[in-house]
Amino acid sequence: MSATVSEKGDAPAGKQPDQLFTLKRWNAVAVWSWDVECDTCAICRVQVMDACLRCQADNKQEGCVVVWGECNHSFHNCCMSLWVEQNNRCPLCQKEWVIQGTGK
Amino acid sequence: MFRHVDFAATWGRLSETVKKVISAQPLERTVWNERFSDVYSICIGNPETLNEKLYEETKNLLCGHVNELYENVPTADGELLSTYSKYWLTYSKGATYLDLLYHHFNTQYVKKSHPYQADFEYGFALDHKEQMLEIGELALECWKNVMIEPLKERLVQHALNEISNDRKGMTSRSHEVNTTVISFVTVEQYKKKSPLQFYETLFEEPFLQQTGDFYRAKANDLLVDSTCSDYMKQVLLLLTEEEMRSRKFLHQSSYKKATLECQQRVIFDHVQFLQAGCRLMIRHDRREDLLHMYMLLKSAPDGLDNMVTELEAHIKEVGLDQIKAMHGANNPMQFVETILDIHRKFYELIHKLFRDDKHFVAALDRACTAIVNFSDAKQPCRAPELVCKYCDTILRKCSKGPTEEADDKLKNSIRVFRYIDDKDVFQKFYSRALAKRLIHSTCVMDMEEQMINRFKDVCGYDFTSKLHCMFTDIRLSAEHTKKFHDSLVQSGDQISPTLNANILQAGAWPLNSTQSNFIPPEALIKCIKRFEEFYSAQYNGRNLTWLQHLSQGEVKMYTATKPYFITLSTYQLAVVLLFNDAVEMTLSDITTSTNLEGVELERCVQSLIESGIILNKEKQKLSPDTVLSFNESFTNKRTRFKISLAPTQREQVAEAQQTRSSVDEDRKLYLQAAIVRVIKARKVLNHNALIEVVITQSRLHFTPSISAIKRSIESLIEKGYIERSADTPDQYRYLA
Repeated sequence: MSATVSEKGDAPAGKQPDQLFTLKRWNAVAVWSWDVECDTCAICRVQVMDACLRCQADNKQEGCVVVWGECNHSFHNCCMSLWVEQNNRCPLCQKEWVIQGTGK
Repeated sequence: MFRHVDFAATWGRLSETVKKVISAQPLERTVWNERFSDVYSICIGNPETLNEKLYEETKNLLCGHVNELYENVPTADGELLSTYSKYWLTYSKGATYLDLLYHHFNTQYVKKSHPYQADFEYGFALDHKEQMLEIGELALECWKNVMIEPLKERLVQHALNEISNDRKGMTSRSHEVNTTVISFVTVEQYKKKSPLQFYETLFEEPFLQQTGDFYRAKANDLLVDSTCSDYMKQVLLLLTEEEMRSRKFLHQSSYKKATLECQQRVIFDHVQFLQAGCRLMIRHDRREDLLHMYMLLKSAPDGLDNMVTELEAHIKEVGLDQIKAMHGANNPMQFVETILDIHRKFYELIHKLFRDDKHFVAALDRACTAIVNFSDAKQPCRAPELVCKYCDTILRKCSKGPTEEADDKLKNSIRVFRYIDDKDVFQKFYSRALAKRLIHSTCVMDMEEQMINRFKDVCGYDFTSKLHCMFTDIRLSAEHTKKFHDSLVQSGDQISPTLNANILQAGAWPLNSTQSNFIPPEALIKCIKRFEEFYSAQYNGRNLTWLQHLSQGEVKMYTATKPYFITLSTYQLAVVLLFNDAVEMTLSDITTSTNLEGVELERCVQSLIESGIILNKEKQKLSPDTVLSFNESFTNKRTRFKISLAPTQREQVAEAQQTRSSVDEDRKLYLQAAIVRVIKARKVLNHNALIEVVITQSRLHFTPSISAIKRSIESLIEKGYIERSADTPDQYRYLA
């Protein structure tokens, strides 16, 4: 998985380089999460990091993403698209729902 | 149209031929043909029907003939069976021909006089006084009435005597007996209703009676002076002999009955005697005896139950002894292999001796489940943890080169996995171990995936979905890393070190996120920044949190003699990089630069001191003022090595405990969810039914205790999901 290090540029043996230690490779670990204020979707009550209930039931965990409104509130995109069919306002602040962006 | 027929003349000719036919004497074809047409002409003879007359005359003739034969049957006992069977063979052959001679008569006259089959079936023609018989049948009827009836007691007695002699090992006239016995069947075989009745009452009943008596006595004789093992050998022999004998003497309808009667007397009547010997045979692994026992008892109703219970108890005992002998030692290899050995040994026994009889296989499964899930009162069951470690050890070894042997071991471990009751605990442990293997790339992806698929086969998609998710993350991470490096090449930037980023989905991984204010070295900060830029260009709305305590790096260390490549954790790495700029420093200096402190720092420094890279000159216990310096004279045989931050014993225990308590939490939620689901579907349900359904639903993951279910019900009532019915106290009702 890791790229092999090219050793051509290294100082030839015997000649002391400036530094005792040089960093060659780094195997880093990070977790990603949606950049949201509240980590539960107010519509389906499931954490936004998990897929919404419908997607869990249909086994479509992969494509379930988050949507942000202009009001900075966020929900599952699937949940919200069902919601706006009835009421084009944010369920949390009642402001008109304008999409700021969707996660991917 | 009708022709006049001179009955007397015709019958005169015909009767002569009939006599010849019935005694199976040779006859010329022309004569046969003429008589055939004689029968025909009588049938279609003049209006005054001659059919009945022909029937009567034939009947008289036949009865007369049989009577003649009967008179000739000797009164002497020795000749009875041979004479009888000789006469019978001839007669029955003759009767068949006679039937053909009267073919026209049979079809045109006798058949028409019969009530329709349908009438017969619907019960209209039940009391037809005396039904006309076809001539062949008539001949048999005559034989029965005139020959068998007066002789029957003697015949049966003789036949039984012969059979009895055969049992005693004396020579017998089996052929003649068989002919006689079969004749009892044949004479009534044409009957549509219970054709075997005559044979059964006349011969079979007394035969079975005699058989029973004989074997009852035989069994009692044998029991007097033989052990269980000898008795079984003898009995098996007897049974085989008797089986052969019934084929030699009896009609096929009696084979089974005879065997059953015999089994009844020698096996079923003595089941307890046999079963009493069973325990010792199992204990001492006396396979031959066990095989005999199985062969004997499998025919007895519930006969095997005792054996099954004994075997189960024995396996359990052997297994538990071995498991207890380990004294809860933390030895996954020994644990798993012991169980596999036990399983293999007894499975082989069941396979060879008991032909995979499903009762025994089930007993083996029950026993193994008990062994695997054994726990003494103090500790929770260790099996999930141990099996998990077993897999972990093997899978890690495979990263150096997978072998077929390892694959077999993994395949077998699934067998033990199946027996684990607390599969949810296993899943927790396994996902932690898998996470470590994936992050540190100490695994072979194909084998890992195969393993996960095996779990899926046993427990379903639900069980492995998180494991799959982890897998996808690692695959995607490899792609990210590649794209990242490609983008670096395109932009012409050089970045050191070479980054391999594992980007994991929060929530899917069983990782402890420790909050720390660690400040990474300069080089890493640059690296992180560059990657975050790249990542946010790829994805929208994602935050990255770097888990430094899980990250690792490789440094090249220059010493006077040779360069070394060392793999270090990021914390260790941050510490050693400080020595680029200073010859010696105190622990508190390190804290200032990296924000590492307390136990974390001590462990990190300690590991570096132990490896010999860093020196603690005062050799005293670490304190913030301890002065550390780089070891100029460091040497190591290997050029590449790893300084691991091995988790301490206490940490491992704590992690295990934490895993278990998170399982308890999950179980609570699982049970509550299950209860709500069930009650929502049924609206109203009583207590016992609810508990039963919940237990069945959760069996695949774990076996819930009844008290845990009760607690969940209570908390759901408190939360207002369900309520107790007002009128029936043990009923619950769903609250919408």
